[in-house]
Amino acid sequence: MGRIVYAAAMSHVLAPDYYGKNVGPHGRAMVEELIDVVGVMGREMLAARPDALVVVADDHLNVFSFDAVPAFCVRIGRRVERMVQEDAIEFDRALDGLPERYPVHEDLANRVLEEGMEAGIDFAASWSAPLDHAFLSPVSVLCGEAPVPPLVPVWVNCFVAPQPSARRCIEVGRHIGRVIADGPWRVAMIATGGLSHFPALSLARLGTSDPAFDRRVIAALEAGDEHALRQLPMKELHETGSHELLNWLVLVGAVSPARARVRFFGEMGRIDLAALQWEVA
Amino acid sequence: MSRYDVNVVLYRLKKDAAFRARFVNEPRAALERADLTDEERDAFVRWDVRRLNELGGSLHLLVSIPHLGAH
Repeated sequence: MGRIVYAAAMSHVLAPDYYGKNVGPHGRAMVEELIDVVGVMGREMLAARPDALVVVADDHLNVFSFDAVPAFCVRIGRRVERMVQEDAIEFDRALDGLPERYPVHEDLANRVLEEGMEAGIDFAASWSAPLDHAFLSPVSVLCGEAPVPPLVPVWVNCFVAPQPSARRCIEVGRHIGRVIADGPWRVAMIATGGLSHFPALSLARLGTSDPAFDRRVIAALEAGDEHALRQLPMKELHETGSHELLNWLVLVGAVSPARARVRFFGEMGRIDLAALQWEVA
Repeated sequence: MSRYDVNVVLYRLKKDAAFRARFVNEPRAALERADLTDEERDAFVRWDVRRLNELGGSLHLLVSIPHLGAH
């Protein structure tokens, strides 16, 4: 019988130079502090000896174009590549030194996809989508120099309206948790992104976060209050710039009723940064 | 508002270096075949990123186009 041996969620631009340039010294210092915390969490994750690492994150119009935007997509196949793009945005460029390929946990990825179809969770499947900073920035900090466990990348459409609802994200997570429980593997699962930034995806409002909303969400996560989380309207997530919380809600569905513990929370102004761990062990 | 068409051009500017170079040199000519309204076309030609965002252009595309990104 399989189980989730480690579960966490964290911001995914773990790039001091980016925040140093766009926010200033306090932004750089805050993300450096977060990176230290995520590094410690990674050692704890690897100590739990996961056979696979499920990563739930979003696409930043790097992989999927407006020609087809999957609400949820599972990466299948044997290997997954790091995104390579000439003159990429600086926090993707920061991935340049990382390995070009990572193993996929093919059996678990296939089960998530196939059993999803049977259960009414209609995932898109991709054999070719590469991974950008939303996946590899947290994974590389978590694993450091250690080998990266075979991955199961799952994309959630956080940014192209209409997005899947909070309720649906939790249901998808519930399905992933069921597949893991029915399988033979020890699985680590992370969700990435957030907290609030880019309110209403408006360039004119770039640079502000919503700490009151973030504190309210974190309190609900700490309380394991799935009911409150599933009621969150997309309109409010959009207005506060909390689109990437959808990734976290998939994780919530997988580990519920576990409660979250805050490992890091920082209000930067441009974005609020966080790392949370769920008490699954 | 042809949100799709604005984003098709933005995505191409991000991913297609030759198209981007042509756009930088001759924006109006580069967009000749794009299915845009006059207002959208003007915003592209002026490279008014806020206006393009208001017209439905994806924030994530607008901030990540090499050399033109609005970050």
